[in-house]
Amino acid sequence: MTMTRKLRDDRGLDRGVPFIFTVDGVAVTAYPGETIAAALIAQGHAGARRTARRGEPRGYYCGMGICWECVMIVDGLINTRTCRTEARPDMRIETQHGIGDQP
Amino acid sequence: MIAADLAIVGAGPAGLAAAGEAAALGLSVVVVDDNPRAGGQYFRQPPRQFRRDGSASLDREAARAAPLLAALDHPAVTYLPDAVVWDMPAPLALAVAAGQRSQRVEARAVLVAAGAHDRPVPFPGWTRPGVVSAGGAQNLLKGNRMIAGLRIVVAGNGPLLFVVAASLARAGAEVVALVEAAPLNARLWRAWPGLLAAPKLLRQAIDYRWTLLRAGTPIRAAMTVTAVQGEERVSAATIAPIAADGTIDHGRAETIACDTVVTGFGLMPSVELLRLLGCALTYDRVRGGWLPQRGSGFETSVAGVFAAGDGAAIGGVEIAMLEGRLVAHEVAAKLGRSGGDPARSAALRRRLGRFDRFRRAIEAIFAPPRDYLGLLTDDTVVCRCEDVTAGELRARRDDGLTSMIQLKSTTRTGMGRCQGRNCMATLAAMVAADTGSRIADLVYPRTRPPARPVPIGDLLHENIPPPDLPADPHLPRAPAA
Amino acid sequence: MISLPADTDMLVIGAGIAGLCTALYLARAGRAVAVIDRGEPWGDASGANAGTLSLQVKRPEVLHVTRRAIELWQGFKQDFGIDVGFGRPGGLRVATNECELDMLRRSQREQRALGIDTEWLEGEALRAAAPWLGPGIRAATACDWDAFSSPLQAGQAILAGARRDGVAVIGNAEVTAIEAAGTGYRVVTAAGSIACRTAVIAAGAWSGQVAAMLGVRLPVSADVNMLSVTEPAPPLLDRVVTHIGGILSLKQYPNGTCMIGGGWQGRGDLASGRKDVDYVNLLHNLRVATSVVPALASVRLVRSWSGFEGVAADALPLFGALPGRPGVFVNACARGGYSQGPALGLAMAELITTGRAALAMERFDPRRFVP
Repeated sequence: MTMTRKLRDDRGLDRGVPFIFTVDGVAVTAYPGETIAAALIAQGHAGARRTARRGEPRGYYCGMGICWECVMIVDGLINTRTCRTEARPDMRIETQHGIGDQP
Repeated sequence: MIAADLAIVGAGPAGLAAAGEAAALGLSVVVVDDNPRAGGQYFRQPPRQFRRDGSASLDREAARAAPLLAALDHPAVTYLPDAVVWDMPAPLALAVAAGQRSQRVEARAVLVAAGAHDRPVPFPGWTRPGVVSAGGAQNLLKGNRMIAGLRIVVAGNGPLLFVVAASLARAGAEVVALVEAAPLNARLWRAWPGLLAAPKLLRQAIDYRWTLLRAGTPIRAAMTVTAVQGEERVSAATIAPIAADGTIDHGRAETIACDTVVTGFGLMPSVELLRLLGCALTYDRVRGGWLPQRGSGFETSVAGVFAAGDGAAIGGVEIAMLEGRLVAHEVAAKLGRSGGDPARSAALRRRLGRFDRFRRAIEAIFAPPRDYLGLLTDDTVVCRCEDVTAGELRARRDDGLTSMIQLKSTTRTGMGRCQGRNCMATLAAMVAADTGSRIADLVYPRTRPPARPVPIGDLLHENIPPPDLPADPHLPRAPAA
Repeated sequence: MISLPADTDMLVIGAGIAGLCTALYLARAGRAVAVIDRGEPWGDASGANAGTLSLQVKRPEVLHVTRRAIELWQGFKQDFGIDVGFGRPGGLRVATNECELDMLRRSQREQRALGIDTEWLEGEALRAAAPWLGPGIRAATACDWDAFSSPLQAGQAILAGARRDGVAVIGNAEVTAIEAAGTGYRVVTAAGSIACRTAVIAAGAWSGQVAAMLGVRLPVSADVNMLSVTEPAPPLLDRVVTHIGGILSLKQYPNGTCMIGGGWQGRGDLASGRKDVDYVNLLHNLRVATSVVPALASVRLVRSWSGFEGVAADALPLFGALPGRPGVFVNACARGGYSQGPALGLAMAELITTGRAALAMERFDPRRFVP
């Protein structure tokens, strides 16, 4: 996707070799060291979860781990803050709906 | 359990400066930070995996952090990253949650340099994906070298907006407008002399302005974002004039197509740990809201507990580093360590004085409207975590509930994971307006542990004395009156 | 701001569960009632408990009160149109060692003798019934009466319900003096004076202080109970969990949050009004909780708080007429008063309006403390 490079500021920078992980089954490109949230934003995915009460979309907001809006299910682990979690090859990320009903 | 002369909460500019200075003065130091990498927000570092040639402006800024970060390598400094201070069981003891590494830190003095977070200002659509806080946009830029969107409206109030907008523009973003609530030109006329006190910062400010001019970003002053449109993400933003008393002229609203709105309405010191400790606080809107009362030596009302940087009062990175260094000197003196050069302290204080003059000029220029309550519609979400709208809060108020504590306990506002960081400021403003009180006079819900949400499993590792259990649980547990 | 009326027929002192339920049932019986509180209604014990409505953890003396109370809790919606966030998933009371097993067996026998049947679960049967229990749980008794309500939701709902039924509830009206006046009393408060024919002291931990204003000494102390609550988590437990040692009370609400309690003491006292969490006791509480439900270890704690709970010297309810003061009654300090609240309130309304309560309440007569 053309978007993949546009949002990345590559001045004076070599990000290395990109890899793929999936979000709700869709492939997303990331570079080593980037957070899941950053890679999603680069690809135009602004949403991370849907609220328990009204099913409204929420996504990355504070970027410092205190707002909890960016949580997604990462390799089966619910309530994972994507702004603080590094993307890794073959990670399976899913939109978290409400509580994220998984034991 | 770790013991040290000085325990520092936060590895941002203030904490790092204090650590380096304290180590140089011969103190043993523990630095606890909740991020995986040090630097706080201002010196947030890009991934180690990125290979940088140092040419980018962001990299030149990052280079300033190198000597500060080096403090963490000093043999007298113990650095605990990815570690959350969730309680302070005694004024000089930190309860640190860090997975298997959870433990207690005890010190002879504590510096809380916990930094600040964005002041939340709700308006219709502010929860939509694509609305990002100013701090969030900066963290994306500094931490991932990523711009937040393709067509960005930067809106709110305060000098940080210019920093963020200019940084985004330099990084290649299309910043379609900077919407600032303060009537800048009128204010600049009156306050400009103070800006001369810190020539370096003034040059930076001019640089930001020049960057935006070259980028073709219009500065819309005395205006505010009033709504964001879009279903799954932002598609447009509405802006309108705002007066000093907070009234909005919806009749002169304009809509701007965009995919991202970066909102920044100023920073608020993160005072949760200070509240937990029972430090006396004062309300000073100009410096960010609730601040710890501090003496000239930056000590709070709790003996041995110091506060510095944006976590004590919003002042920016230069002031933060100077205060951090001065606290190190104060602590060394308090602990009876000589070796602190009084001339150095004096020099630091003089520099602090100059930056304070600059700061006051900036504050005068960017003084915010009285409040932003005019932005709230009944449908506007106030508590993001629990999805509570302004309408629901107003209904409870109409039922006769007038205190923050009542409104919190009956609507769940402030009971979510963010522990009120995104909503208590708004709740306070609403209650103050409804009851004709000042925010400074409001009774806030008490802050109790955990200061941040922590996995219960992190709290199983500390060595604690065996429980004092009553022989018969059916009998009174406390001594009879 | 609701202002204090000049007079009322019945005055209830204390707007926690005991006071509000008393008022609710008095209003239902057609009486004019006002309720006053030293602070905000529902400000202490009623808001600072785990919301557990457990029958099987109660001492034998109050089992009959608790059973009636759970029926009334369940019926709030139907009887009063009040939604207290009630759920009755049943409860498990666990034992983890030989000593606790003995206590549990003894308790089960005692309860059977009083007509309350619980099911003994051990080994395979226990694992099948509650696979989420930790490996250290040796046995548990299951009681299908055990239930929960949401303390904050219940408080708001009961308060609104009482007001809807014409009860005046006035907060921030701390009682400073009570004087005999004509055929009744004049109660002086921080918000003015109010005259009444009948008064009910339902002031929880402050009931001793209020009774003293009438020259009656009741031995009341204040426990400082701690609670904590987690972030919303997926379903981890499907019943209320309690512990034979009295050290755990645990439940999960429909919104996913888990409430952890058990009577662990925080720090504070009535005189200073301080009610802080005690760091070490909080850790002990959490450790018990995770040993009983290991899945809690990966759930984040979000809030903790404390509240005062009044306790009489023998930890049994104070219920009945105040000795030597005609027209004054006491309904306070029932350990586990949150569970028993509706039944205590109903019994007090019956006692006042008809001269006797349907439940046997003589054991709790305050006379037992007045020589």
